[in-house]
Amino acid sequence: MSDRIETFLGLSVELTAFSRFDLLATGLAERYLGTLDKVVGGDTTNTLLAAFAALPPPGDGTRARALRATILGSELLGDVARSLIKLWYSGTWFELPYAWTQRFGAKPADATFVVSPDAYVEGLLWKAIGAHPAGAKAPGYGSWAYPPKIPAFPASDTKADAVSVHLQNVGIMS
Amino acid sequence: MHTHSSIRTLDELKEFLHGAMQLEHATIPPYLTALYSIMPNVNQDAAQILRVIVVEEMLHLTIAANVLNAIGGTPDLTRPDFVASYPAYLPDGETDFEVGIQAFGREALATFLKIERPAARSEHLKAQSPLIHRKSSQHKTVLGSHPRNKDLHFYSIGEFYAAIVEGIKELEEKAKREGQTIFTGDRSRQITSEYYYSGGGELFPVFDLKSALDALELIIEQGEGDGGGIYDDDEHELAHYYRFEELVKGRYYLKGDKPGHPTGPPLQIDWDGAYPIKPNLKVAEISDGSELREATVAFNHRYGEFLALLTRAYNGQPNLLLEAVPVMFEFRNMMLELIRNPLPGHPGLNGSPTYEIGKNTADPYAAHRAEAAA
Repeated sequence: MSDRIETFLGLSVELTAFSRFDLLATGLAERYLGTLDKVVGGDTTNTLLAAFAALPPPGDGTRARALRATILGSELLGDVARSLIKLWYSGTWFELPYAWTQRFGAKPADATFVVSPDAYVEGLLWKAIGAHPAGAKAPGYGSWAYPPKIPAFPASDTKADAVSVHLQNVGIMS
Repeated sequence: MHTHSSIRTLDELKEFLHGAMQLEHATIPPYLTALYSIMPNVNQDAAQILRVIVVEEMLHLTIAANVLNAIGGTPDLTRPDFVASYPAYLPDGETDFEVGIQAFGREALATFLKIERPAARSEHLKAQSPLIHRKSSQHKTVLGSHPRNKDLHFYSIGEFYAAIVEGIKELEEKAKREGQTIFTGDRSRQITSEYYYSGGGELFPVFDLKSALDALELIIEQGEGDGGGIYDDDEHELAHYYRFEELVKGRYYLKGDKPGHPTGPPLQIDWDGAYPIKPNLKVAEISDGSELREATVAFNHRYGEFLALLTRAYNGQPNLLLEAVPVMFEFRNMMLELIRNPLPGHPGLNGSPTYEIGKNTADPYAAHRAEAAA
């Protein structure tokens, strides 16, 4: 895999709190990177990837804060990163906010759309809530008798970073 | 008529039926892996055909367990060698052929066709012993070999099953002469249709010679077809061999078609529409500490648990099969995830389930082996 897709995966791991394995398991990583390129353009995508690559190394206590400041808090990159999170979770690209297009210009491909039929099926949200997408990936007769399987909370260092990012985000919003 | 049977005792028959279960199960990992290697939104015809066939193989496994239960046996899918080590070998006349775990494609289909149509030999050769002596490596899984001697191979799977049919007939005849029967199994151990929904065929209880022969007939017919006909007589159902052939020929069969000449609607195959999994991957080939390795081991572990669950279902708790259904769907998701992940250090190749059951994890069968050795 190219460095570009590797960087994209690294960024996505920290934004979604899902592992690299889980993200690749959707079979959609390259298509989602392609979606970013198509919607916001290669330049903005590269700026986002470069901002991620420039973060302090994992394990450094300042990494999560830096991610929040230079990516999620960035006027240009923040909304793009949030749309990327939603893309991974739902398979849908959500149109960027009005304020973003006012500031950086409307992008012709920036509309709300489902990337592909399998993107809907592979949305991380189903895994996150221990459910299956309605109409696809049926869990089998009688499965409703069992409690949903929620994946274990991420435990490794990089994932813990990602989790702390989310918690801080909650703090920002409240 | 040739009546030479290789099976002389009831215990031997039980071992042969275990061999039949092992054989029927052995087709499931290659078929399932090929099915789940198919990329989304392509090869829907192929996926449908593979799905139908693999479900029927699961039925065959259960039927073999029913026959074993009928003669007082105890099906055990947790035996250390129950799951084949891939590539495994199937007899094909004078030689073996390899059955491996690989992605959907022309090569996989060529193997599947061979699995479903065992070599036939001419009438005058049939008078000879069905067993052929051929030295096998100890580490190879040789399916359809003599349970007591891995170097004795049947000429074909058809002859392996013929030996079982003959053995059942002869042993039951002998028992009848003494006023007894070999069908002494507890009827409540039989798996019947209420525990097995949409299972690719009828699942009926086996309790006498007739039902045992009907059961084995169903396994043989669904595989290779009935005496060269492409449809089986009762169900108007296409035999597996011809279903796979439809994919090779790119056209569906219609009633009345001659073997090898389907005249139905065309079907679309995208030969590149499968993830490029590394054939016969082993856990040891996956980078230590990688998430892929961890997930591969987790799959094997879950599969081992599933076989233990099936064993309990086949040993007097048929209702557990209902519990096994969601586990099979869980497998599908686990397999899809492995197959979509690139294999570290092997550019252009992806991961795969390895079906190394009871290895690379805390050995769940150690207790079983200790018990057997005691």
